[in-house]
Amino acid sequence: MRDVAIIGVGMIPFGRRDQDSLIDMLAYASMKALDDAHLGDKAVDAVYVANMGGGILQHQTGIASALVDRLSLLPAAADLVENGPASGASAIKNGVQAIASGYSDVVLVAGGEKMREVTGWRATDFVATLTHPESEYPYGITLPGMAGMFTRLYMEQHGLTAEALVAVAIKNQEMGALNPYAHVEMMITKEGIFDSPHSVVNNPLVADPLRLYDACPVSDGAAAVLMCPLEMARELTEKQPVVVAGFGQATDTHTLQERDDPTDLKAVRLAAQQAFDRAKLKPSDVDVAELHDAFTVLEIAESEHVGFFGKGEGSKAALAGLTRFGGKIPINVSGGLKARGHPVGATGVAQVVEITWQLRHELPKERQVKNAKVGLTVNFGGFGNNVLAFVLRRAS
Amino acid sequence: MSNLQITGYKCKHCGRIHYPRHEQCLQCHGREFESIAPEGNATLLAYTQIFNLPWGFDERFLIIGVAQFGNGIKSMGQIKAESLDQLHTGMQLRPVWEPVRYVYGEPVYGLKLEPMG
Ligand SMILES: [Zn+2]
Repeated sequence: MRDVAIIGVGMIPFGRRDQDSLIDMLAYASMKALDDAHLGDKAVDAVYVANMGGGILQHQTGIASALVDRLSLLPAAADLVENGPASGASAIKNGVQAIASGYSDVVLVAGGEKMREVTGWRATDFVATLTHPESEYPYGITLPGMAGMFTRLYMEQHGLTAEALVAVAIKNQEMGALNPYAHVEMMITKEGIFDSPHSVVNNPLVADPLRLYDACPVSDGAAAVLMCPLEMARELTEKQPVVVAGFGQATDTHTLQERDDPTDLKAVRLAAQQAFDRAKLKPSDVDVAELHDAFTVLEIAESEHVGFFGKGEGSKAALAGLTRFGGKIPINVSGGLKARGHPVGATGVAQVVEITWQLRHELPKERQVKNAKVGLTVNFGGFGNNVLAFVLRRAS
Repeated sequence: MSNLQITGYKCKHCGRIHYPRHEQCLQCHGREFESIAPEGNATLLAYTQIFNLPWGFDERFLIIGVAQFGNGIKSMGQIKAESLDQLHTGMQLRPVWEPVRYVYGEPVYGLKLEPMG
């Protein structure tokens, strides 16, 4: 198998993009990735597109065919990858496998979602369609609702505190304010959302015990990466290559109720383990991580399940500032989903774009992790029923 | 006879209870199941109160939880409570089968759980 390198990345600012169609956004991000690699007229063999909701939200299917045509990359192979909120990482994994196996040389992966053209009511229902159609969906359960149940159990069993969740929210919005691609560029204070009389008004319950500032916004956005075999990277581009050192993917029961221990994010644990094993690296080798903080609780729980901290230690680590920029293991220096936003199909790709910038040392110094060599991403699908992790490494 | 339209599947090989249905046992991959109905009251395992409801609901909020019946079937359901103050994990709930949502004016039936006083 061949080593795979990321040679180009691109992203468009996330947020509300009324003027752009889904295909517009995917196309803009793709062109940025192609231009980033200075690839010129070199052929792209295959395009993988990550999108969860085009069929439901835009009433549009055949998204990959539409994009490859828009980009005039014909006759490149083109496939749509739908894997819920983990579609982005799934599409990248498909690209990695295509290159590693020798079937493809130059692969473009673009992930995008357009969620703001429907009401919040509809968007919530759209995401809830990934729950079990018989035993979950009819009850009105939502992803925030799943996260709310999970949070209460985590509080009861693993020492999670509301204060630790607030620390994650503040940290990620602080970092998001430095990220020009972030949807939310607003700083928040502990007083404003936690321990003042105004806080209950500013920060109402969404799914008890989770509050408004525990949840990511609903966003439009797109991101793209261009990959090739590592051995070809040096001849194709002058950009510092970033190697996909390892990936992992694991699944868990569709419903939360069938897990023996619902607080055990087994798929996160297994996906990260697999990614580290393939990379021949360990959690302590990671310099910077992008974890899937669709809800603040997930950043803490994932930081434990990937092996940064023991179970029950993630809260303390967040409160002690270990996961802040400049801390022991900086998590979501981009602002994470919490501040960058979560256009579901784009998220897994955006995480890899962010880590690529970190490992190339291209970010402004206020959020560039010094001398970063190894990065981790976790893209969390369903409520943890389909999870992917990537370990990325700066090529020597 | 239970009036709850919930069918659990008990693996004939290892005894693991499944709901919803699987073609193979999650634990031993056995393929033979005994269909079982929920029995007795249910114990509350997890719950939340949701304020931002999806399209299709007019309520101000929903209280939703996961509960386990005496014979091991675990199911999600709507909880008939006015506030979370009435609830705690491990408490007993009485199951009823009632409309849980309406689609084009037609009721969709499902599990509702009443806190037992
Ligand atoms: Zn079995």
